[in-house]
This record gives sequence, structure tokens and C-alpha cells, in this order.
Amino acid sequence: MQSNNRSLHFKPERSRRVKTTGDMVLLTMIVRVADSLPLAASMQEDEQSGRDLQRHQSQAKQLCRKLNEQSPARCTLEAGAMAFHYVIEKGVCYLALCEAGFPKKLAFAYLEDLEGEFSEQYGTKVPSVSRPYSFIEFDTYIQKTKKSYIDSRARRNLGSVNSELHDVQRIMVANIEEVLQRGEALSALDSKASNLSSLSKKYRSDAKYLNTRSTYAKVAAGAVIFITLIVYVRFWWL
Amino acid sequence: VPNSYESLEGGGYSGTSLRCSLRHLNARSPFPSLSELSSALGGLGGVSELEAETLRPVNLLQERNILPPKRAPPPEPNLSNDLRKVNCSPDTFRCTLTNIPQTQALLNKARLPLGLLLHPFRDLTQLPVITSNTIVRCRSCRTYINPFVSFLDQRRWKCNLCYRVNDVPDEFMYNPVTRSYGEPHKRPEVQNSTVEFIASSDYMLRPPQPAVYLFLLDVSHNAVESGYLNVFCQSLLDNLEKLPGDTRTHIGFVTFDSTVHFYNLQEGLSQPQMLVVSDIDDVFIPTHDSLLVNLKESKELVKDLLNALPGMFTHTRETQSALGPALQAAYKLMSPTGGRVTVFQTQLPTLGAGLLQSREDPNLRSSTKNVLHLGPATDFYKKLALDCSGQQIGVDLFLLSSQYSDLASLACVSKYSAGSVFYYPSFHHIHNTAQKQKFQKDLQRYLTRKIGFEAVMRIRCTKGLSIHTFHGNFFVRSTDLLSLANVNPDSGFAVQMSIEESLADTSLACFQAALLYTSSKGKRRIRVHTLCLPVVSQLSEVFAGADIQAISCLLANMAIDRSISSSLSDARDALVNAVVDCLTAYRANGSNIQPSGLIAPAALRLFPLYVLALLKQKALRTGTSTRLDERVFSMCELKSQPLQQIMRMVHPDLYRIDNMTEQAALHLNDSVIPQPPLLQLTAEKLTREGAFLLDCGSVMYLWVGKCCNETFIRDVLGFQNYASLPSNMTEIPELQTTYSERTRAFISWLLESRTFLPAFHVVKDDASTKTSFFQHLVEDRTESAFSYYEFLLHIQQQMSK
Repeated sequence: MQSNNRSLHFKPERSRRVKTTGDMVLLTMIVRVADSLPLAASMQEDEQSGRDLQRHQSQAKQLCRKLNEQSPARCTLEAGAMAFHYVIEKGVCYLALCEAGFPKKLAFAYLEDLEGEFSEQYGTKVPSVSRPYSFIEFDTYIQKTKKSYIDSRARRNLGSVNSELHDVQRIMVANIEEVLQRGEALSALDSKASNLSSLSKKYRSDAKYLNTRSTYAKVAAGAVIFITLIVYVRFWWL
Repeated sequence: VPNSYESLEGGGYSGTSLRCSLRHLNARSPFPSLSELSSALGGLGGVSELEAETLRPVNLLQERNILPPKRAPPPEPNLSNDLRKVNCSPDTFRCTLTNIPQTQALLNKARLPLGLLLHPFRDLTQLPVITSNTIVRCRSCRTYINPFVSFLDQRRWKCNLCYRVNDVPDEFMYNPVTRSYGEPHKRPEVQNSTVEFIASSDYMLRPPQPAVYLFLLDVSHNAVESGYLNVFCQSLLDNLEKLPGDTRTHIGFVTFDSTVHFYNLQEGLSQPQMLVVSDIDDVFIPTHDSLLVNLKESKELVKDLLNALPGMFTHTRETQSALGPALQAAYKLMSPTGGRVTVFQTQLPTLGAGLLQSREDPNLRSSTKNVLHLGPATDFYKKLALDCSGQQIGVDLFLLSSQYSDLASLACVSKYSAGSVFYYPSFHHIHNTAQKQKFQKDLQRYLTRKIGFEAVMRIRCTKGLSIHTFHGNFFVRSTDLLSLANVNPDSGFAVQMSIEESLADTSLACFQAALLYTSSKGKRRIRVHTLCLPVVSQLSEVFAGADIQAISCLLANMAIDRSISSSLSDARDALVNAVVDCLTAYRANGSNIQPSGLIAPAALRLFPLYVLALLKQKALRTGTSTRLDERVFSMCELKSQPLQQIMRMVHPDLYRIDNMTEQAALHLNDSVIPQPPLLQLTAEKLTREGAFLLDCGSVMYLWVGKCCNETFIRDVLGFQNYASLPSNMTEIPELQTTYSERTRAFISWLLESRTFLPAFHVVKDDASTKTSFFQHLVEDRTESAFSYYEFLLHIQQQMSK
């Protein structure tokens, strides 16, 4: 190899290996709340975080389906060693999956940062799109922002952000399982209600049937009497 | 990273309907309703005129002129006009038998292979794209709705593959083309047999990946010597803007000799930074996020690197090649996203994992006995390819070498990751200008062609038929799902089928190929092709519908599998037997045939010729000196090219072009394109007074006879006389004479629909290069192979045994 001042040689030392560990943003999703259509997302970083990301990804999808206008606009949901943070603004939900150790302040600063940029770039187009991931190109911005928030050196500079970020403390905290299950309870209630309504329908039709049957019986009895009368008149009197 | 897409292509039925918009539509004839379908079937009863012609017995020993004057179109399936109009284009989807036999017994009687040839992702000029919330599919077999389903009434449709009756969803009742309600049979899905759906998020396991391109470049002494680096860097610089992708496109470079070098291209650096990893036994990625960079943001750095790269290694003395470790590094680098890895290799890998030894004995190149080492020497490349496929990484291989490089082992890395293989034997930027031009042209196409990522393909067919063997570059997951990490518009696939249950209660058989992929712009799409063919019960009808080109291509694929799994001589025998069996079956069936002579139905009259041509292919020939790598490359091509390309390669087109007249010429947009007749591939047809064009698909020869008229040489080739013609001309000059214009018009017409432009050679009759031209004249006798007539006699002899 010729001497080249641009090249860095890596000796086979194990210690040289760079491993990104600790607090990370693993998943970022931007979803339209009205119909939970995904608008943009950021891919998971590397294989070491691939662990059970699949499970969390489907949790995130379920969560987005649960959200509606009544949902709290800012919320943190704990999910084991991970935590979901989300912000809903103008009908769009910004959701991030972070490791539980990742500072909440930072996570929300990150999400608000995304919100600002996204609504400026695509805000007006959001209601009209129908294709999933229509704004996938926003990924580039997400990646960049994410990097700046993860980088510890940059984090120190973010002190200024903290003052802008008012009362993070008041952000609601809940458990993901509970939230997902709350939906299940509701759907159970829903199914029970529909069960009830179908049962009452059945009752109604049964009642109708019985009614008709008794009417028939009455008519038949009358007819028998009448015929007997005719016969009696016909054969007795003539 | 998710890789189990089977649940996606197989599943994903969304019930709700909201909106629907349509683009690029053309109103066609109304969908054939049930009554029309049955009238179409009525037409199948009698033998049509067309069929009578294809069944006309031909005595091959007597009739010499069996070649059609023009490239023969594929046989038309015997369907009603309405069905024929909506049927899938034969360029995309072809079946070896356009009349599907009713039972396996009937198929066995015909002794012809049953299979499909597909070119699913080919470039199309017109494609209806459908955006709709509900993609209508059969509930039990998941077939996409297509022009060959039948509507029982307004609200129900019957699947043409499994016959299940399904509901028509509300959304489907509205037709956005005519803006009318209640006409589901006029929707574009049922008016076109090739459509593309915009997939909903049910068809995604993760957000659509960006286009990611990684280039893996050999920079050993050998590579630098060949001068390919310069050509590549220049070509990529020229096409950087045209790489398919959007603002998310990522790019990266890795070079390797005895060590692996990475390039930090992080935005903000003043120049690219080279990182050298010398631990090739356990290669690692020096830094994670700056090696694959956003192309848009780091464009200047990428350009700097491409300008600097050719100069950086000019004085290298490194002769080793650590391809295996470099590939492992590429895998690690790409696995979070998936994408395309392009490998340029110029020699045998000699270091680290996956190192190979020379296995070729040059003395055995022309042996008539068995050819060894057609299979891989190690499973390293296959394993790596399967890992790559699992992470949605496709690996394309460009091999540019003059020495044996064991392509049989190296090609596995592309074969199982759905990549493509390119081979430039004895490439040199100065000494071999024809190869250099070909490499440049190929790169131009390669870098700018469409690409699909994280794709899967499934082929479904009518109940009763079953697909059992697949050919092409892919990995088969879960019996019938082809996993394609990358899909490109230039690769073809073939499948073999058998008839498991009798098709007696149906008159139509249908085949549907569905390809789910992510476009380079991050859109998830499903391309669906549907082919419909009639089912027949008579042996004569099966013969009448035989598509000889498709049969030859499928047989070629089967023969290559056989030569690797068993032996080359076995494969060659099997090919000959295929002809013998088929003609024997025809003779046994026909009653009115004279016993002497070799009789074939007109539809199959080219069968012996094509098989002979196959036996003389580089892939399958014996006796003629053939380098092992060239043989293996020819096999790769036969396995992965689309049908048209294979046919040109197997049986090239020969035209006399020095006396082309305007008689019967085509007139297209003010230009006159002469149409000389196709000539048989025999030296008999050549005359010293003429000039002949031989079109072999990836290479074209212009053979100029010794006494060729001087006007042609002057007006078309731009030289005074035959003697002053140079022996290494590689293009036709653009001269302002009618003669030249006419010739160039004809050649560019031939190239019109081709994606890779062929190399061009002008061959003088007395030049040493003429052997490469004459080896394509397959009807002639060589020292080791039959002439066409001898081959016919051989078949006749085999038949009488």
C-alpha cells in the first residue's frame, strides 16, 4: 500500500471496534391519526438493535391504530426495557421508540424538532395522500436529527433546548400493555353489545313466530267450529 | 431485519374501502362475459386452419428450407378474439405448450416438457398502475383479480384458478375510468392482464428501504493492469445523476487487494478518507455511519473519490485478492438496510475465507470426455449469498479476467441472491478495445436500469397444475415463493410444471405471476401478469400448440441442471433423447405418415435444429476447445436470460446486407428499414461477393467476403477496398450515403428492443478472428460435431432402435 496521508490503517486490535451502545432512538414513525396511515418512518439502525424490534414494531403499529382525537397529545408509554414517546400535532402522530434510559426531555425535543420540520415541508399535503409512506424521503431528515440528538457531545449543546421544553414532568406516563389492552376491553364490550343485540333480534323473531302460530291455532279452531256448524245445518236440518 | 415476506404476498386482505384513483388507462373491449366465454369454448371443438398448418407433416430429410423468412412470432393460443386481446404478452409470459394437455397421461404421450418462461420485470412502455385501498384477491388461493375471472352477477366473481366464488367489494363496484357505478367488469384490473398495484402497508414488514448501492472493487496489481478501474469510475461519474433513486439513495465504496479498504465519505469532510482493515480473518467495519452515505449530500466527495481512485493504486505491487473477506464486510455494511452490492473481480480469490484454487486443466479444454468442475468448489459463496438474500442484499458480479477465476464457485454469490453475472474474458483497456466498449455499454445500462428491492415473486396456476422446478437466479423460500433481494429488468425465469389432477372439467388454464417489490423511489408495488391458455384433449392438438422456442429454452435450462448434478454427457444425451422421443411419439400417433424419412409436425420442424444448436453452445459443447469459465458463463446466461436473448444466442440470425433492397421494407417514422430474409446458419449461404450480418444477441459480426463489392466497403465501411479494411474494426462509421443509412437503419432496428447493446466485430474473410464467426454456423460440420443433416440421420437411426 503506498503511503497516503488520507488513509488510516486499522490494526487488528479488538479495542478499536466501535460499538454504539446505550441510549438510542430505535424507531421513528410518523402516522396520520385519522386512519393510522404511515407517512414516514426511519429504519432501524443496525443488527445489534434488531433483537426484538419486530415485536416493538408491531406494538407501535397497534398503538397507532388505537390513537384518535381524544388521545393525550403527549404521552410516554413504557414497554419493558424500551419506551415509546409520542406527540400528536395537527392530526399527525410523531412516535419514537427509545431505550428506557434515554432522557425523556431529549426524546420530546427530538419529536418536536421533527414535528416542526415535517409540518412545514408536508403539512398541507397530509390530508390528501392515500399511499403508505408517501413522505418516506423525510427519512433523511429523521436520520440526521436523530444523530444530532444521540451524539453525546451535541447533547451538551442542547441545554438551550431544555429551557424551551416546558414541563416535561406533566407528560402522561402509561404502560404500553395497558393501553393496548384498554382497547381490547373496549372491543370486548363492543362484541358483547353486538352479541346482545343479535340475541334480542333472535328473541324478537322467535316472539313473532310464536304469535303467528297462536293466531293460526285460533283461526283453525274457528274454522273447525264453522265447518261443524255447516255440516250440522246441512245434515240435521235437511 | 425482517425477511419473511411470505405472509405479505400470501396474506394481507384488507376489508375496508375508501378511495380509488387510477392512472394511465386505456379503455379496451368489454370484458368477455360468461356467454362469450362459452362461445369461445365452442370454437375449440373443430381444428382451425391455423392448427392444420402447424400440424402439416414435414419430412425434415427432404425439406431444407424450414427456417421462416423472418423471426417467427410465438404461436397464438387458440382462444376467442376477446380473450386473445387481453392475454399477457408473449414477451413477458410464455408456455412451452400453448394448448395445455388435459392429463399427465396425455402430456407423457407427447413427450414434450411443460413449463413457463417469464420475464416479469421487463421494461414496459405502457403499464396501468392502480391505487386502490382494496386489492381484490381470491379468499382461498390469494389470486389477484384478472381478466379471466368470471362474474356470476354484479356482486360475485369466481376465481379462475381455484373456482372459489368471492364477493365483489363495494369499492370495486365503482369504475374510476368511466366514473360509473355497478360495472366491476370494466375495471382496469379485469381489462388488462399486466397491471401494477400500489401496495398498502399490509404488504410491508418494515418501511420501504431506500436505494442502497455498494461497489466492491478489486484493486490488486492484476486489476490495475487491466485498466478497468478507469472505465468504471468514468462510467459511474457520467451516470451518477441517473442512478435510480430519490433523495434517500445511499452509496458506498469498498476496495480490496490483500486488505480491505473502506472510504469515509461523511458530508463535511474536505476529502474522502481511506480506512484500511488488514485483519481479513475477522473483518470488521471501522465506522458505522459514514461508509454508506447519502448520495445527494456527499455527491462532491463521491466525485472526488471516483476521480482519485484510478490513480491511487497505479503503482501497487499487491497481487493477492481477499474477495471473501471483502464480501463479508459488504454483507455487514449492508445488512441493516439491504440493497445492491456490485463486485468487480479480476482474478482467483487467494486470501481469507472463500479462497479458491485453480481447477482447470488446459489440456482437457477440448476433451470429448467428461468436463469436470462445473459445480462450486466451496459452499462459502452460496452460504454468503443466502445470508445476503435474508437481509435483502443482492450481489452482482462483474468478472474481468484473462486467467481462470473459477466462475463456477464465484457465480454462486449472485445465483442465490438474485443478482446477475457479467463476464469479460481477457479484458484489457488497450489490447482489447471490443471488450472495453462492451464493458462501457453494459455499465451504462447496468447503472441506469430500473431496480426493485426486497422483492418476492409467486407463480400460481389453475388447480390441477403444479410447479415443481424453478430456473433462474433467486432463492426458493417455502416451496413456491421466490425470494429476490434485487430484481432487474433483464433477467428471465423458467419453471417446470406437471399435471397432478385431470383438467377435464375446465377448458381454460391460467397462470399468474405476482411480483412484490420496492421501487427505487421507496414505493411498494405489486406487478401482476396473467396468462390464459386453452386445455385440449387430443394429442394432435398438443403438438399443434407446441412453442418450439420456449421448449428449447426450457430444455436448455434442464440440460444445464443435469450437467451440474450428473454430467455433461448425460445432459447432451438427454437433449438428443428429447427430440427422438418427441418425434417417435408423433410418428406413433400419426396414421397417414409414410414410414421413410424423418417426419415432424410443422410446429416442431425446428426442434432438431435448435437442439443441435444447443449442443454446439459453449455451455454444452464437447470436443471444441472451451475455457471452463466461458463454459460456466454460458450456462449462467442460459439460466438467467429472457427467452428472446437465449434464442439469439443459441440460434443467431444471419442476414445478407450488401444487397438489401427496399422491397418489402418497413417504413417507420420516415425511415426505410429493409427486411432481408433470414438465412440458414451454414457456410453454404455465404458468398465471397457478399457481406453478412450475424446477430448473436450479445455480439454481432459483420463478415465481409473477399470479393465483396467495393461500393459497399466504401459507402458503408468507409474504406477504399477490401485490402485496406483493418482487421479489428468494432463499429460502422456514420457516413452520409443512402447505402450506409439504410444499413445503419437496419442494424438499429435490430437493436431497438435490446437493453444491452452487443459488441460489434467486422470480420474479414482471411482474418484469424473468423473462427469466432464460423463457430456460430451450427448447421455445418466441425471436427467434433455433426452437421445438421448428419444429426437428422442420427436421430432417425435412434428412432428405429
